[in-house]
Amino acid sequence: MTLDREPTVIARTVTRLVVPLILVTAVALLFQGHNLPGGGFIAGVLTVTAFVLIYVIFGLDYLETELLDREPSVRYETESGIVREYGQVFALGLAVAAGSGIAAIALGYPFLTQAVAFVEPLPIYGYLEVASALAFDLGVYAVVVGALLTIVAEVGAE
Amino acid sequence: MQPSGTALLVVLALPFLGAALTPLVYRVLGERTAYYAAAVAATCLAAVASLYGTEGTIVVEWIPSYGVELAFYVDGLALLIGTLASGVGVLVFTYSGGYMHGEPGQLKYYATLLAFMGSMLGVAFAADLIALFVFWELTSVSSFLLIGHYQDTESSQYAARKSMLVTVAGGLFMLVGFVLLRDAATAVEGIDSAYRLSGEGSMIHHADAMVDQLRAEGLFVPVLLLVGMGAATKSAQVPFHIWLPNAMEAPTPVSAFLHSATMVKAGVYLVGRFRPLLLTDEWTLVFGILGLATMTVTAILAVGASDIKELLAYSTASHLGLIVAGYGMSSYLGAETGAFHILNHALFKAALFLVAGIVAHEAGTRAIDELGGLAEDLPLTAVITVIAGLGMAGIPPFNGFYSKEFLFHAVYETAEQSVADGGTVLWWALPVVGVFGSVFTFLYSIRFVMLFFGEKPDELGEVHAPPWAMTAPAAVLGALALVVGLGGVTGTFGVHLGPVETFVESVMESSLGHGGGEHSFSYYLPTEITPWLIMSVVTIGVGAVTYPFFDRVRDGVRAVRGVAPLRANWYYDGATETLDRSTVIDVVQTGHLRTYAIALSLATSALTLGAYAAASVSLPALELAGLAPALLVVLAVAVVGAVAVAAAPSHISGVLTLSIVGFMVAIFYILASAPDLALTQLVIETLVLVIFLLVLDKLPAFYGTVDKVRAGRDALVAAAVGVTVTVTVLVSTAATPHDVIAQYLLTYAGVPEVHDPIFVDAGGGGNVVNVILVDFRAVDTLGEISVVAMAALSVITLIAMRERGETQ
Repeated sequence: MTLDREPTVIARTVTRLVVPLILVTAVALLFQGHNLPGGGFIAGVLTVTAFVLIYVIFGLDYLETELLDREPSVRYETESGIVREYGQVFALGLAVAAGSGIAAIALGYPFLTQAVAFVEPLPIYGYLEVASALAFDLGVYAVVVGALLTIVAEVGAE
Repeated sequence: MQPSGTALLVVLALPFLGAALTPLVYRVLGERTAYYAAAVAATCLAAVASLYGTEGTIVVEWIPSYGVELAFYVDGLALLIGTLASGVGVLVFTYSGGYMHGEPGQLKYYATLLAFMGSMLGVAFAADLIALFVFWELTSVSSFLLIGHYQDTESSQYAARKSMLVTVAGGLFMLVGFVLLRDAATAVEGIDSAYRLSGEGSMIHHADAMVDQLRAEGLFVPVLLLVGMGAATKSAQVPFHIWLPNAMEAPTPVSAFLHSATMVKAGVYLVGRFRPLLLTDEWTLVFGILGLATMTVTAILAVGASDIKELLAYSTASHLGLIVAGYGMSSYLGAETGAFHILNHALFKAALFLVAGIVAHEAGTRAIDELGGLAEDLPLTAVITVIAGLGMAGIPPFNGFYSKEFLFHAVYETAEQSVADGGTVLWWALPVVGVFGSVFTFLYSIRFVMLFFGEKPDELGEVHAPPWAMTAPAAVLGALALVVGLGGVTGTFGVHLGPVETFVESVMESSLGHGGGEHSFSYYLPTEITPWLIMSVVTIGVGAVTYPFFDRVRDGVRAVRGVAPLRANWYYDGATETLDRSTVIDVVQTGHLRTYAIALSLATSALTLGAYAAASVSLPALELAGLAPALLVVLAVAVVGAVAVAAAPSHISGVLTLSIVGFMVAIFYILASAPDLALTQLVIETLVLVIFLLVLDKLPAFYGTVDKVRAGRDALVAAAVGVTVTVTVLVSTAATPHDVIAQYLLTYAGVPEVHDPIFVDAGGGGNVVNVILVDFRAVDTLGEISVVAMAALSVITLIAMRERGETQ
């Protein structure tokens, strides 16, 4: 995607400020999802919006040249480069989600049975609730982020 | 004895598993994948062999709510077809190792061939009508792929389409027959599962009650014809024989495997399987006439053939006709004929096909006129051809003789019986036609054998010796055919070929049914003069006298064949070409996405609304009065947004106004206290907006002028879809399900008041929606994220890899 003119300074500055905020919000949503509104899917989509903002304002190569400090990958090249990495992200996510289910089988429960553990006592917090569903949710998050970014990067390169 | 479930699982699952693993194996082994496939087939053969002597049903639930099960039944007939599929499979895969050397698309070839073998084994062992139908169609699909192996040749495409059209259409007739059968079975007492064909408590078990029930409903003849249609198309019976000669476009191992030994046997298998259920006078009439007509017509066509594979193709159809005719005859002799000839035909015909492959491969031509005197260069192949060819001709003591003798016996007895019972003299036409057709069988068989003798034409260049991978399988089949033939000679002196006879007897029993009584099976050379022996003598005598005039007979056949309206192909080509040219195609298949979208949307709407009307669903009353003012405002803005979308002059403004609707929906969720839904809606709306804008870059900025007719049509379609969705939402939300599920979820989603440090019986989360997503319905979520991942993969494939083309 090529814009006819450069984005304004306002847009660029706002993006620089907003992207970290969005990402932090996304992570917060991911972790609080078990007890409050949020969850892997929403957090994933929100993360993607942050990336999309970067793509739209700074162009497709910005991520690789400025943030990762390397040569931008060749368009339509799926064997290497950033699309390949996105692919690895969603593949890994799928593996984590399915693996968390298989772990339950290994422990003698039906596929995808989730457990909850309360770790107490802890200083300050008092107790910490650890849900195995979080592993599953992380998988969901990774799949959503990887898959949507693949789509955006490919369609955007068009 | 009850068959072992493990062995059956190996038989049915291994070929498909093997097919799935072929791409990996091919990377490692390359062309030697042939031997991997042969090993898979050999394992299946061993598993089938371990099932010998067992009989019984194995049931696995499949779709319990519809009473559909994966039921498998093991008996003689199933084992015969299973042995052929896996046994000939081993030989054909080995042969392919030599034949396919340097050919394109081997990976696809072996994977499809393995999948075919699995489907064929499924057909053989399926006891449930639905399972049978599924495997049946799978064989058609794999046959389509294999016939079209040389994708770029026009004739391969034509042949593949033709076989698909004929066999799949026939399969659909058969499916209707199956549904009617099921309908009748539900009314018969004692049938546990209405789709079960064979085994305890099945249709065949209660054959008499089934026939009575079918007759009472007036469905007997329709069912007979519908099932017969399936069998006739699959087994290339006249007038559906037309696809088989074209199918010879496939590589020769495929012809030997699918189009002589196994897939075309599916049709006769069906006849043999349904025989105990439907055997009546009508049965004899339908299948007797069908079989004998096919046997005669295609034998005549085989004489007119100019290509060795064409000759073998017609001859295959002719022998399948013989088997069908045998099963058509009412006495136990009929079952005997069918059972024995399935075995004999598979042995000699597969051997001959492999020979044809060797000849084509080494001599470089398949034209009958260009071949001769091959015995000089291919001595072993010549011996195999003599054994198999004389068996095909029905000359004693080779194997085909005995089964043909059984057919003559069965036909003669049926005719005699029917005339004695007061039938017309026309019944005597059966034996006469049988002999008449067999004369032609004799002629073409001898012609094929003579390719190896006589003068070698000068144009025929050097003929190389074939690799062992090609001769060995043919030799094995030839040797087996010889052993079966010699078994009859020793049988005359009281030394019977025990295993073969017991096996054929068990196959025969499968087609006899309960009323058939006990019949043991043995075969031997005739020791006394009988009418059926005279029929054989006449056949061979007339054949031998006519053979010197073979060329004239052939020219005569070709002259008759030249008359267009006499050829079934003329009708097939005429019909398909007319369809191709007709204007219907221009309206229905425009190649524009919008045409298909309209058809799809209208059909969905019509079906949904029709279903509501049929179930006389009443619309709930709208209660707008009780809504909060804030909600009303939000909804009103959404409606305004929706109207604005329709009125938007450009794509950009259209998308922007569309997102007004989306954001209003999100606010609606917030007001309805559903924060999770609102969050999701918001982020998705944002993302979709951005993606839309990315794509819009490619489209023209403005819609341009729209012509009135098209706008009206689009409005109509949109209105139909809108009404359907609205009605669906109203109807489905008006229904209040039991809140058992809701109560369960609420109870178990949170942290229980008393709990261990670690517990698994509750969700332990305050957000019920999320606990449902990641815990209670986690499998759904797993499915959804798989879809998301798959969408990304499709995008990669469609966009990034489109330039690459096929890499093999």
